[in-house]
Amino acid sequence: MSKISPVTGHYVDVDVDGLLYKVFYLENGTGQPLVCQHTAGCHNHQWRGLLEDEEITENYRVIAYDLPRHGKSDPPENTEWWTEEYQLSADHFANFIVALCDALELENPIFMGSSFGGNIALQLALRHPDRFAGVIPVEGADYSPGFYLDWWQHPHANAAQVCASGVWDLMAPQSPETDRWKTWFYYSQGSESFRGDLHFYSVDHDLRGKLADIDGDRCPVVMLTGDYDYLTTPEDSARTAAQIPNAEFIEMKEIGHFPMSENHAVFRGYLIRALEVLQDKAGKTVTTR
Amino acid sequence: MTVTTRALDTADWAASFTEANNADPEIQAHGKYFTCSYLLDMTDHTFVVQMSRGNVVDIAIDPGPLDVPYQFALRASADTWRNFGVPVPAPMYHGIWAASFQRDMKLEGDILVLMQNLRCLTRQIELLRTVGVPV
Repeated sequence: MSKISPVTGHYVDVDVDGLLYKVFYLENGTGQPLVCQHTAGCHNHQWRGLLEDEEITENYRVIAYDLPRHGKSDPPENTEWWTEEYQLSADHFANFIVALCDALELENPIFMGSSFGGNIALQLALRHPDRFAGVIPVEGADYSPGFYLDWWQHPHANAAQVCASGVWDLMAPQSPETDRWKTWFYYSQGSESFRGDLHFYSVDHDLRGKLADIDGDRCPVVMLTGDYDYLTTPEDSARTAAQIPNAEFIEMKEIGHFPMSENHAVFRGYLIRALEVLQDKAGKTVTTR
Repeated sequence: MTVTTRALDTADWAASFTEANNADPEIQAHGKYFTCSYLLDMTDHTFVVQMSRGNVVDIAIDPGPLDVPYQFALRASADTWRNFGVPVPAPMYHGIWAASFQRDMKLEGDILVLMQNLRCLTRQIELLRTVGVPV
C-alpha cells in the first residue's frame, strides 16, 4: 500500500513591483490561512513537519511558499536578472507577500516566518496591519546585523558547503541529527540567493525606533525564538517584543534558528501556544487543542 | 558558564583526538581534500593540528613562537573550550560560529582556508564533545 501525503503543490503567478513571478507553494489543511516563509537561502521543505501536522492542519490551511529565486520559484520571468546583483529589500519582500496573499485570495491570513521571515513578519505588522490577522515572527528581531558576508558566495571556497556548514551551529545539538542534516542539505542548494536574502536580513531591515508604531491591536504579534540561536538570541527577540504594543515573546528551549526544520516535534508545542495567544489577542474563538 | 572537569594530559588528548578523527565516518567520507594546518589556542595550551586528506598526521603540543607554521587559528579562553568539551554543550558553546558571535572565540589568519574546509572542520571540532579538552 503506497503512502501518499495530503500535501499538494501548486504554482501561482504573482505580479509585483513590475516583476512577474511564477511562485510554487505547498499546502495542506482547512481553515484560517497560515502563510509560512522559509529562512534565507532555503525553501519550503523547512515546513515539512508542519505541513503534515494533523492537529494544526485540522484548523489551519498551512501554505508554505518558495520565495522567488528559492526552491521551485524561479527568478523573475520578465527581466535579465543575471545581469544584476541580487539584493533583497524590505519594500519588495513585503510587497511580494501581500501580492501573493492577494493572488491566492486569502482572507484573514496569519503570517509566520523564521529568521529573515521573522524580520519580514515584523515589517508586515508595521506596514499592513489591516491585511493580516496576526504575525508570528520566529527568530526575528528589530535589527540583525552581521550576516551579510561575502563568504556565502566566495568563488574560492565551496559555497554550497560554506552556506550549509556555516548555518550548522544555528541548530541545537539536541535536535535530531536526521532533521539537522536535512536542513544542511537544503542549505547546500541555495548559495546564490543566500547572500542577497541577507542584504534584507542584516542591512535593509532596521526597525529600531519604529516598533512602537506597530498596531499590535489590529495585527497581534507573538514572537518565538530558540535558546541555541546565536544570530538572533532570545534577548534580541525579548527586547523587540517589549517595544511592540500588545506583543508577546515566548522563548523556546533546546532548539535553534530553524525550529520548524530542525525539530518540528519540539517546535509544534510552542507554535500551538503562540496560535492560542494570537487568537486570544485577536478575540477569536478558533483554537487548536 | 564554568564547567569543572579534570584536564586531560596534552599528549593523551592529542592521541585521542587523532584516533577519533581518523576513525570518524563523516570525515573519512568527505575529507578527501581536508588538507591544512591550524592552531587551536586554548590559552593554557596551544596545538597545531596538521591535516592531510582527512587524517590528522601531526599535532604539535605547545609549540614555540616560530616552531610550526599554520594557516588559521581558533583562539578562545580555556573556559570556553571546556564548555565545548562536554557531550551536550550549552548554548553559544555548540560551535565555532556561535562562540565567535556570542563568546570570546576569535577566528584568525587565512579564513579562506577555514571556509574551504568548513564542513569537515565543523565535524572535527564536534569530536571534542566525546574526546574532551586538555585544559
